[in-house]
Amino acid sequence: MTYDAIIIGGGHNGLVAAAYLAKAGRKVLVLEQRAVLGGAAATEEVLPGFRFNTGAHDAGLFRQEIIDELALEKHGLSFISSPVAAFTPRLQADAPPLILWNDLKKTAETLSAISEKDAESFPRYIEHIRTMTAMLDEIILRTPPNLFENRFADLTPWLKSGLKFKRMGKQDMMAFLRVLPMSAWQFLDEWFESERLKGLLGSTSIFGSLQGPMAAGTAFMLFYQHLGAQNSGLASSRQIKGGIGQLSDALAAVVRAQGGEIHTETPVQKIVFENGVATGVQLQDGEIISSKIVISNADPKRTFFELVGARHLGPEFNRKVRAIKMKGSTAKLNLALSALPEFVNAPSGQEHLQGHIVICPSLEYLERAYDDAKYGRFSEQPLLDITIPSLLDPSLAPEGKHVMSITMRYAPFVSKKADCEHYGNHVRNKIIDTLADYAPNLRDCIEHSQVLTATEWQREYGMTEGSILHGQMGLDQLLFMRPIPGFGQYHTPIENLYLCGAGTHPGGGVTGAPGRNAAKEILKKR
Amino acid sequence: MKYDAIIIGAGHNGLVNAAYLAKAGKKVLVLEQRHLVGGATVTEELYPGFKYTVFSYVVSLLRPEIIRELRLTEHGLAILPLESTLTPLPNGDYIYRDADKFRTMRDIARHSPRDADAYLDYGRSMYFMAKAVKYMLGIIPHDPTSLNPKDLLGLAGLGKHLLGLGEEHFYMLAKLMTMSSADFLEEWFETDPLIATLSASGIIGTFLGPRSPGTAYVLLHHYMGEIDGAYRAWGFQKGGTGGVANALASAATALGVEIRTEAAVDKVIVKNGQAVGVALKNGDEVHGKAIVSSADPKRTFLQFVEPKELPDELVDAIQKFNIRGSSAKVNLALDAAPNIACMPGHGPHLAGALSISPSVEYLERAYDDAKYGRFSRKPYMDVIIPSMIDPDMAPPGKHVMSCFVQYAPYDLREGTWEQQREAFGDTVIDTLSEYIPNLKEIILHRQVVTPWDIEQTTGLSQGNIFQGELSLSQLFFLRPAAGYAKYRTPIKNYYQCGSGTHPGGGILGAPGKLAAMEMLKEI
Repeated sequence: MTYDAIIIGGGHNGLVAAAYLAKAGRKVLVLEQRAVLGGAAATEEVLPGFRFNTGAHDAGLFRQEIIDELALEKHGLSFISSPVAAFTPRLQADAPPLILWNDLKKTAETLSAISEKDAESFPRYIEHIRTMTAMLDEIILRTPPNLFENRFADLTPWLKSGLKFKRMGKQDMMAFLRVLPMSAWQFLDEWFESERLKGLLGSTSIFGSLQGPMAAGTAFMLFYQHLGAQNSGLASSRQIKGGIGQLSDALAAVVRAQGGEIHTETPVQKIVFENGVATGVQLQDGEIISSKIVISNADPKRTFFELVGARHLGPEFNRKVRAIKMKGSTAKLNLALSALPEFVNAPSGQEHLQGHIVICPSLEYLERAYDDAKYGRFSEQPLLDITIPSLLDPSLAPEGKHVMSITMRYAPFVSKKADCEHYGNHVRNKIIDTLADYAPNLRDCIEHSQVLTATEWQREYGMTEGSILHGQMGLDQLLFMRPIPGFGQYHTPIENLYLCGAGTHPGGGVTGAPGRNAAKEILKKR
Repeated sequence: MKYDAIIIGAGHNGLVNAAYLAKAGKKVLVLEQRHLVGGATVTEELYPGFKYTVFSYVVSLLRPEIIRELRLTEHGLAILPLESTLTPLPNGDYIYRDADKFRTMRDIARHSPRDADAYLDYGRSMYFMAKAVKYMLGIIPHDPTSLNPKDLLGLAGLGKHLLGLGEEHFYMLAKLMTMSSADFLEEWFETDPLIATLSASGIIGTFLGPRSPGTAYVLLHHYMGEIDGAYRAWGFQKGGTGGVANALASAATALGVEIRTEAAVDKVIVKNGQAVGVALKNGDEVHGKAIVSSADPKRTFLQFVEPKELPDELVDAIQKFNIRGSSAKVNLALDAAPNIACMPGHGPHLAGALSISPSVEYLERAYDDAKYGRFSRKPYMDVIIPSMIDPDMAPPGKHVMSCFVQYAPYDLREGTWEQQREAFGDTVIDTLSEYIPNLKEIILHRQVVTPWDIEQTTGLSQGNIFQGELSLSQLFFLRPAAGYAKYRTPIKNYYQCGSGTHPGGGILGAPGKLAAMEMLKEI
């Protein structure tokens, strides 16, 4: 029996691609190496009763278009919104708390305790960043054009985007072109004076990359993250009921409802091809499954160097793939807590803990954290982005207890085996030490912890060098340059082999966009 | 008496602008605040017999068509080749590159045979890229937001040119526009000091490290230079870079331009939204039909005219214009020839450049210091010995040495540059002494020129030698500000022609010429 399409990897993008293809009547098979679906967007019961969002903890970027088109809400997807987007703990108990709310007025109120000027600028900033992200929003779900194949049909949607761009008006157009290549540092400096506010807002700008906020192009990530935000200026503040894994489950339900098959614990050894045309895959146990096309949800390096093999590709192509910057920088610590942490400067109640809790006192703090990573060490004083999803969704932990999800930057990928061994433990200690300064009762609350560094991302999740974005999202690796120049349309040099992962346009984060775009491209062709 | 055009500042761009206007028959006056012409392109005899190239020190980017059209060689332009670059390494080894490609490849092959192979390919590719962007140096930056037919046609032309490069080169250009110089070079080479030395061109004059995205463009900018049709050729003007200014001044004067030195401009006189003349600091007023500022955008818009004459968004944009100075000069008078440890004794290497860039990490750490407001404890340096190239620069047997140093941030977190100047000078000499053991013994005089000094002397805001960082947010139609990239200003008859306009800094002359061409359409 032959499938119409085999999707290697049951990450969220692979499942989105599979769902769209299945919905269009194609017979699809999804092969996932792990026992759990979702890749880095999974919820796993690591300790009885405690359900961790093992990888990503924020699904706010997931495209509404996909939710609607695939009717995911009918298949079990629902969101819970928090009124609070972010809270920044401080070491000083008397420091006024900085909280970003989805309600602009409330944010302005808290800001005025820190800086009147910034409180006044904030609503204008939100308006500005919304104008900038609107343009990004426009191109997220479009396949980048191939400028050297003048197919008019490919360009027409971009002409539409071009018209929309023109309609922004001269001033906004110029502003867009000016700010896009900026550093987050410079961009935020033009707006605000409070180091704390700039630190908090800028904390999203280096998401998933090995770059500091002073690097040109980091303002772009600020806008990209803002796609999921409402009025907070930061990132999304909604979470998926039941954990982020529910998204993968809903997607899987769509695939199955359309007659698609999903096999977990089925690692693929390699892609099989005849005369340069992909014809199927070979599993690790030797079995060969044939298919009309093969779609890889793995990152480009893994796809081309491990699943295909460099010898089947041209040297020039290999050189370009090798040059993709995929430096991992993110570590994750998942904690099972017996009680809530008490932050020294916290206001009363629990509301402030419902969004992101961000340790990033200033952009300089973040840049210095990057300095360590630049020379191959994890940050002495890291950025921590924390959520406690069990606050809004008690089903994730036993009664009265909590799960805490901590994303730490920077913890760069270490390749030397000797370094790897204790790396996870060092990173775990660093995170707990840092956080315990802000919440002294933390250590006593920890019942269990799970640490994932770039090493684990690579080994267990298959992400090369632990790059959660499947390749840094710098200006040189975006749009028609992603994953490599000339291959921005989800195709590969091998006929019938396609890519659908975060390594393709528009990139990483739990958006589903690469999966949807790839499926649309494939359906256009066949 | 009334002039057709008055140019503020006799820097190289001001002089180029003046010469082109005069060539078209205009009556032109150039006003210079200092006692000599050149701005940052000057040679000064600070000690008898020792001629210092105080600020800039090498020539490469000056547009060949300007040399031709203004007959600069007849007026004394004589660029001597500066062919070699020596990178000493901490372990006593070195990388030595010169005009002899094959000798250079052999030297690189000692470090990596693969890199030796890649070296020629890299050179060829960059040569092609430089040719590709040359097109952009010669056109005014078209406004991508405009529906004006001229802009649309210009953009279509640019698009056609870019796509005409072919897929391979188009994507390479896209990478050069967005990457860091070290990352870009790592796609070609594996020898760290070679990558460091080459990537240093990406940080010169820029407040960024070799790993900062955007520096690959600055690298490319430095490849645009051509001397006698040879790209990436660096040269030394006979008599120092002041010789370039003198040749330009002589050519301009021959075309009828009047140059007045020690005539500092205080304000541009604006009447009914129209520039009609300038008021000098000594109280004089000079009237002209058009006024051109070759000063940087901050001075052009925020100092010479009242902000109320300008739209708010322009004032805002110029205030935000990034002009952080990051480089300094240390000029030395030497009693004897320096002895470089890794290549002792006399030799052709002394007539080339000495690059203190032993590793990418070294440069990056130098940048780290500057990021947090202090000068680099181990700075990057590009050193030449002008008297080895042109013996007239120093008394017989003695020498002058020019050290371009980075990073020296204009804004120090602790103290002022007046307090820190000599400590910085000591750091430079200490660092250099590691590679030139006899240096301290042969120094007769030392001049330390910090960004603050550059600003004080030449008027360049924050001592930025490019009149504004060459970052993507400040290039082409955004240089110096959206909507004002075509050398005009919101004030009628008030123009700009400095490095703060397209295509940017370096002894290029292109801003001066393009501004003149635009002005001649109107005056």
